[in-house]
Amino acid sequence: MADPRRIAFADLANIYLPLRPGSNVPLLNGIAHVIVRDELYDKEFVDKFVENFESYRHYILSEWDLAKASRYTGVKPYLIEQSAYLYAKAGRALILWGLGVSEHRSGSYTAMACANLATLCGYWGKPGCGAMPLRGQNNVQGACDMGGLPYVLPGYQNYQDDSVKRTFEEVWQDVIPTEKGKTLPALLSGALEGKVKALYLMGYDVAMSHGDITEVWRAFHNLEFLVVQDIFMPLSGKFAHAVLPAGCVFEKSGTFTNGERRVQLFERAVSPPGLALPDWLILTKLAQKLGYNWRYESPADIALEIGKVWSGWAGINHERLRERGIQWPCPDINHPGTDILFTSGFPKGKIHLALAKHVPPLEEPTEEFPFVLVTIRKLEHYNIGSMTRRAEPLMRLYPEPVIDINPEDAKTLGIHEGQKVRVWNKRGEVFFRAHITSRVPKGLLFTDFHFDSALTNILVSPGLDELMDTPEYKVSTVALAPA
Amino acid sequence: MILIKLNGRKVSVEPGAILLEVIRSAGIYVPSLCYLKGKGEPTHPCGLCVVKIEGEGIVRSCKYEIKREISVLTEDEELKGIRRRLLESMVANHYGDCKAPCHGPCPGGLNIQGYIGFIAKGDFRSALALIKERLPLPAVVGRVCPRFCEPICRRAIVDEAVAINNLKRFVADYCLEHGEIPLEVPPSNGKRVAIIGAGPAGLSCAYFLKLKGYEVTIFDQEKEPGGLLRYGIPTFKLPREIVAKEISSILALGIDFVGGRVWGRDFTLKDLRDAGFEAVFIAVGARREKFQGFPGEEKAWSGFRYLFDFSKGLAETEVFRGKRVAILGCSYTAVELSRVLRRLGAEVHVFHPRSRLEVSVPQREIGYAEREGVQFHFATMPLLLEESGQKYKLTLARTTLTEKREIKVVEESAFEEVFDIVFRAWGEVPDTSFREFGEIEAQLEVTGEGTIKVNPQTHQTSVPWVFAGGDFVHGSKTVIQAVASGRRSAQGISAYLEGRAIERAQITVKYDFTRGKRIEDIDVDFTSLFTPEKRASLEERDPGERIQDFEEALVGLTSDEAIREAKRCLRCGCLGIHKCEFREILIKEDVPVSKARKRLKYPINYDHPMIVVDSNKCIACERCVRSCPYSAIFFRVVDKGKPTEYITFRFTEACVNCGVCVDVCPTGALTKKDLLVPYQRDQAKAVKSVCPFCGVGCNLTVWVKNGTILEVTGRDLPPNYGYTCVKGRFGWEFYKSSERLTKPMIRESLEEDFREVSWDTALEFVAEGLRRVYEIYGPSAMGFMCSARVSNEENYLMQKLARSIFKTNNVDCPARV
Repeated sequence: MADPRRIAFADLANIYLPLRPGSNVPLLNGIAHVIVRDELYDKEFVDKFVENFESYRHYILSEWDLAKASRYTGVKPYLIEQSAYLYAKAGRALILWGLGVSEHRSGSYTAMACANLATLCGYWGKPGCGAMPLRGQNNVQGACDMGGLPYVLPGYQNYQDDSVKRTFEEVWQDVIPTEKGKTLPALLSGALEGKVKALYLMGYDVAMSHGDITEVWRAFHNLEFLVVQDIFMPLSGKFAHAVLPAGCVFEKSGTFTNGERRVQLFERAVSPPGLALPDWLILTKLAQKLGYNWRYESPADIALEIGKVWSGWAGINHERLRERGIQWPCPDINHPGTDILFTSGFPKGKIHLALAKHVPPLEEPTEEFPFVLVTIRKLEHYNIGSMTRRAEPLMRLYPEPVIDINPEDAKTLGIHEGQKVRVWNKRGEVFFRAHITSRVPKGLLFTDFHFDSALTNILVSPGLDELMDTPEYKVSTVALAPA
Repeated sequence: MILIKLNGRKVSVEPGAILLEVIRSAGIYVPSLCYLKGKGEPTHPCGLCVVKIEGEGIVRSCKYEIKREISVLTEDEELKGIRRRLLESMVANHYGDCKAPCHGPCPGGLNIQGYIGFIAKGDFRSALALIKERLPLPAVVGRVCPRFCEPICRRAIVDEAVAINNLKRFVADYCLEHGEIPLEVPPSNGKRVAIIGAGPAGLSCAYFLKLKGYEVTIFDQEKEPGGLLRYGIPTFKLPREIVAKEISSILALGIDFVGGRVWGRDFTLKDLRDAGFEAVFIAVGARREKFQGFPGEEKAWSGFRYLFDFSKGLAETEVFRGKRVAILGCSYTAVELSRVLRRLGAEVHVFHPRSRLEVSVPQREIGYAEREGVQFHFATMPLLLEESGQKYKLTLARTTLTEKREIKVVEESAFEEVFDIVFRAWGEVPDTSFREFGEIEAQLEVTGEGTIKVNPQTHQTSVPWVFAGGDFVHGSKTVIQAVASGRRSAQGISAYLEGRAIERAQITVKYDFTRGKRIEDIDVDFTSLFTPEKRASLEERDPGERIQDFEEALVGLTSDEAIREAKRCLRCGCLGIHKCEFREILIKEDVPVSKARKRLKYPINYDHPMIVVDSNKCIACERCVRSCPYSAIFFRVVDKGKPTEYITFRFTEACVNCGVCVDVCPTGALTKKDLLVPYQRDQAKAVKSVCPFCGVGCNLTVWVKNGTILEVTGRDLPPNYGYTCVKGRFGWEFYKSSERLTKPMIRESLEEDFREVSWDTALEFVAEGLRRVYEIYGPSAMGFMCSARVSNEENYLMQKLARSIFKTNNVDCPARV
């Protein structure tokens, strides 16, 4: 269990690695170093499936000795060594991660470094093996699967591939674009430069959830046209020209895909309030207004179309899902779904071991801003809290924004339990109630962004993941004082 | 595979299979209260799952692994006896109420504790939806109900009864103003039913038939629907606009109303039959005046007719000012009339042969009239009425009761009084002349008193397609009784038209645990769990002021008052009854509960933020302990099953509030703090859902009733196998937040305020805005965000909108948050 904060899971772990925020790649590469150095890896698997083992071996052995890994992470070398042995000797092991992997400048490299460990030990295609993110939001997997990404079409298909393009154009009866798309952070900087003029946000409150949100607000101000479609008025609504009321999960039917690729059906329980409509109906009506002949009568119709453009969904329909969920790929109607991937080889034949690069956080603690602020989630709340803050039983448990502080830091600054504190940096200031806990190491502060009364994301660093543009929510430097 | 015999039937099973599982999957009933698949044994198993195995004797089937060919018997007298003894020992230690006492006397059968529970949570719309499940006229009944429930309310032992009816009035008024949860009307089944009479019985029957898919037409002799509600009850008690709004919301379901048509004059039952109605419901009320039979009685004005004429604006209103008026009788008509006459400036005297406590009108109503200056003279009866010039001379006498409680005039007590006007208002009975209306009417059987004869369950008359209800059948009663009669008739009519027997609920009274049937039986240790608080009462306008107008005399509760009042409810009825397997087994094994505990043993514990613990209902099955993945329950039981049984139950600090213990508890020992509505699982719809929060994707069951979510439970499917976190089980209330977006809104620029518009306008505006940017700046100037919380189908459409219509790959989603 690796986490800068001694979370409850640490109490259950064989080995707990309290690493410094932003040092994920050094830790994983250090573990890989031990596995390669002591030849703990699965030689048969590596010989059969890995295409670049020699260059990887060279990189890991020459660049990532234990002393270096320990220096970057602050974790004792023997703990890294023992972790490597425990993992490699387990026979079966699963690597699970949360946003502590993704939300760094080296987030993508970290995910690759995790996959490297599984590859070295041959932990793929078997029960209890693999590497997976514990998806934070209930349909973030599905949003990506459905092509909610600038670089791929539904099913992670390449729009520059001619046969893929043909399939889509046949089903959609329309030409599809092949020019590369922009990520949200790129769109936001486009808006600041005056190049991006319109945004349409469906169930995504960018103005509250993005990192360094004051910049987002500036970008939104620059737009000519902003549409928000949501169940509650989002903070982004402040900058919107149109607000469209949507039905929530209980008011419509459809499917969500969980982190195991399990496509699951949810059915309508109650009616939407007032004039609110399910999102699919709003989009269908809008397309009709734009002169397109979209004829979906129900989400089940749409599901069938998805199966036509992506073979991984070809066997999935709502009728089948009534009983239980199906894990894609599910290529035909009699296929039971795929609970474990890569049981008989890999899509490209061979695995390429990435040379995972360490990119340090954008901000280092300074005298002026001596603390590192890490954003986290609380069990009782969810993301920006728009739903959980409106569920009275959850508010009973966790009613206001709290920041976790190490006891020594609290003592030095004269902060006691429950006191209001001010946290600030050059980007702004936010107020919290202090919780003093030894689970938090000295010099670090942990808080959530569940509350609109404490817009934590104002403080978040403008750093982005080098490859994927994910904001660096996990390392921002701040100052702290009693309010 | 091993071949075994279950009650003589051959079944093949895997070696090592658990016998109870095998028995259950073979569809054979064997009870168990503690068994949980794969969760080990409790320290004291319930023992109910005993069966007989040939050559081995009696074994517990939940721990019996099948290793060889066996022959199993699941049911005989000996096994039944063992189960009975075990159940009786559990009954002897069980203290609680299966059902709230207030539930019993309500003629409408309203789920009183349930709607009060919703009000306590501030969820007024759901409260009303629950009421409207059985009562389509809540704002009316909330003003006129005699409150059969309140006298039995246990809160009276603590301080005073809960103001149940005022709470009903509050939610009804609240929703008339703020809107209610829309009802779902099923598509028409093509069958037509005619209803004669648009009073509360006829309207209710129409409402319930419409909700079953029938096409309904109501005929009434008056121009406007409402019957007595509109014409018989004065506006200061029941404002006309309240009646109009409630009736129009009933008719708005798609019920036809034909006014000004008199049965027997304008049409007969045969005409209705010929017009294509497959059934007829008659609810023309009780409109024939009662007479006392003393000389000169016919000279008095008819109070009943006056009230009707007054309501229609046809009555003389100026003749009463400063006049002395007598009203004979103390019926509802008499009391309503007395208050009307006070408002018209008369000095009003009401004479009634019986005592104050013997009148059929609630004492509260007499109080309102008295405070308005009406003078009541009880135990006084008229003997003679004579006209003398412009005035009336009334001879009266004092009365007393015989041993048989009949009225007797006190000798030499006669006296005379002179009045300007005398009304008679002894009450009304059903008209009996209907048999002369036509050939079918002539076939209708009548009772000895000449009223129409109906089957009390189905309300069917001797003519199978003719039904009757309300005051027309049972004589002048209350609105709630008329509503109940209309509802039962609707059930009878639909059963008749669909050719099936009426569904009759099983009588389960002998399995209903109760903390005491009578108030004096209640253990004071139970009532002392509650702190006395003041009962909310309606503000009564100053009598001197209110008799100057016809505005409503009583002012309704505010939302704060209503919530505070609703929190006074003791929640007697078990809030775990929907999951109570204990009760189910008692009914199946026919073990009555009369020997149950009558004293509180453990205080009810409210310390947990989500869960109420009532160890008085615990049967020590330890399902909670064995299901908890966090070892967060400290549990001990000593002397289980004996009178000295003692249970220790505590949540420890390890608890993460996931609530799985509540859902596995087979009694009401563990209940959810936020589920305040007693319900039966078969009355609710179990909707398959998936948790709207994190990416684990827990499968959930959402329990829905009347368009409201009651609770959420985990579903036994991968990936969660019935488990959830605190958000999944307790975090769903957001959907009914008052902050939901409910209308499309647009604005030209950020400096302007939003304006609410129709969907058509909003979508036109959005289409136009997007098209403008596309045409001026091109596809690269646009971006479309998918969501991590909407469905796959919706995300697919969003990226299709971007790619197919606006030709851009600028699509992204919250995978970066």
